[in-house]
Amino acid sequence: MQTFAFARADRACRALPAAGFLAACRALCALCVLLTASPASAVTMIDIHSPGQNIVNLAMATPLTGPSQAAAGLGAELHKAIEEDLSFLPFMRLTAPGAVLGGTTLNAWQGPELDFRRFQIAGADLLITAYWPKGDGSKSTVELRVFETFSGSFVFGNAYAGITRDELSNVADRFAADLMEALTGNGDFFRSTLAFARSGGPKKRDIWLVRPTGKELRQITNIPGTAMSPAWSPDGRYVVFGHLDDSSHALGVWDRLANQVKLIRFPGNTVIGPCFMPDNKVAVSLSTGNYPDIFLLNHKFERERPLEASGAINVSPSFDATGTKMAFTSSRLGGPQIFLKDLGTGAVRRISMNGGYNTEASFSPDGTLVAFTRLTDQGHRIFVLDLVTGQERQVSFGPGRDEQPSFAPDSYFLAFTSDRSGQKQIYLTTRHGGDPKRVPTGTGDATFPRWGKIPAQQ
Amino acid sequence: MKGLKNLGLVLAVSLVLGIGAGCAKKTTEVPAEAPVVDSAATAVDMAAQTITDGIVYFDFDKYDVKPEYREMLRQKAELMRQYPSIRVRIEGNCDERGTQEYNLALGERRARAAYEYMVMLGVNPSQLEMISYGKERPAVQGTGEQAWSMNRRDDFRVIAR
Repeated sequence: MQTFAFARADRACRALPAAGFLAACRALCALCVLLTASPASAVTMIDIHSPGQNIVNLAMATPLTGPSQAAAGLGAELHKAIEEDLSFLPFMRLTAPGAVLGGTTLNAWQGPELDFRRFQIAGADLLITAYWPKGDGSKSTVELRVFETFSGSFVFGNAYAGITRDELSNVADRFAADLMEALTGNGDFFRSTLAFARSGGPKKRDIWLVRPTGKELRQITNIPGTAMSPAWSPDGRYVVFGHLDDSSHALGVWDRLANQVKLIRFPGNTVIGPCFMPDNKVAVSLSTGNYPDIFLLNHKFERERPLEASGAINVSPSFDATGTKMAFTSSRLGGPQIFLKDLGTGAVRRISMNGGYNTEASFSPDGTLVAFTRLTDQGHRIFVLDLVTGQERQVSFGPGRDEQPSFAPDSYFLAFTSDRSGQKQIYLTTRHGGDPKRVPTGTGDATFPRWGKIPAQQ
Repeated sequence: MKGLKNLGLVLAVSLVLGIGAGCAKKTTEVPAEAPVVDSAATAVDMAAQTITDGIVYFDFDKYDVKPEYREMLRQKAELMRQYPSIRVRIEGNCDERGTQEYNLALGERRARAAYEYMVMLGVNPSQLEMISYGKERPAVQGTGEQAWSMNRRDDFRVIAR
């Protein structure tokens, strides 16, 4: 499958004969990629990081096919897949087709013939059109475009060539990522993969992967014992995790390229909460004789030096994208609290000032927020602390037990574990809170969600 | 024909009685073997059982060994000094209230607290190993202080004797 971007220059593409269309788009591709970054600035932009995030209403036109070409059903399937993807964006509301007077079937997919008026009246801010020039049979091409309904401005568009039914879900993800990027500046949500732990019976828990939309669920470890605390390497090659059996702790390492798992044991027999730093080195709590302290491992996963050691428990390190700041849990003042260490100066300060039991810090990659779990009178809840203002906000409200928060690469979404349904499952919310949405992960308790990104195949 | 049948019956009864008589004779002439008791092994087993039976319990988010458990640990230490072949794994555990990673660290501290006390009492460190299960292996299911208090514990598992 190939993807070609449209920008305002797409009208030039459409003027070409069908046979020359893709070739022309290939030639224009580099230019289009550059251009697609700019049109969005002229249209609706959503600041998802500000507290007063606005809602965008989005309508989808019925997919159209080329002249005399029969619709084989891929158009409808892709339409549904895109709707499902966009339902994960809390700042986006899909306009019901029934609300569009005159219906959602248009006589054009772009240009002045597009009837935006009916969508304006239905309250839609944005309109998506889909056009299948050669019909939507096997190995087809689809052109997807997004317009602002009030100004008629073109927001962005892509052509996806050579797609089959099996690739529809992937096309939907790529389009949703591009749309989110055009509107918010970051579409990594749809390009991410969650690593998580899933129970498979007593004393048996393995590491699995799943897209945040519930797609591409797969198991990557199958070893006796209990796996926990997975963490992605920034380059997407490794997932490290803690592993526990009857007699030992170990650091588990899954190598995506080799599809192999190895367990590494350390003196002291304690391995807790590994986390990658931006330079692809691992920080992990090991015990060297007194308390579990946070150590840095080298690229061979060998102990290099302590990152934080004190006469108390130090666990659960988490880093911002620069790797200069580390949030972690420590018991140095009695009960567990969240601390922040400047790795440049070595200065450490407590940042959780309320509550007696705060653990499981997760740094937002942009370095502005730290999410953590607080034990409240109602049970564990997720809070987000703004490091700039010092204000904290509760973003989960149960029922049950909410824990293990993990910031997405976009510093906007948060994944966490909750047993609100009676079983431990993974949910998504945002830095602002809002209604959590469950990530489908199959049977068994699902815990320890951690975001990562597998590089696109070359 | 009938005579042959009767003869067979007599022979069969005689054979059965004969075997029975033989067995009776053997059991009466050879005294039953008394079970061999390895008194050393029994003593080690009893020591191992004593070491395993005693569980140390902790307060919430604490890892200090409370005074009421010191005598128990002293007794375990004495037995381990007496039987150097015994090796014990101290397993630190927590209740369900805390979070997993912190509880793994807390369980380690609980196991280490007992370990250090026993080493201080003269147990060879090579006889001891430690592990934290955090809250992964509760002794009692359920919620509430009654269950939680049973799960904040050190178990002592004999892994060699």
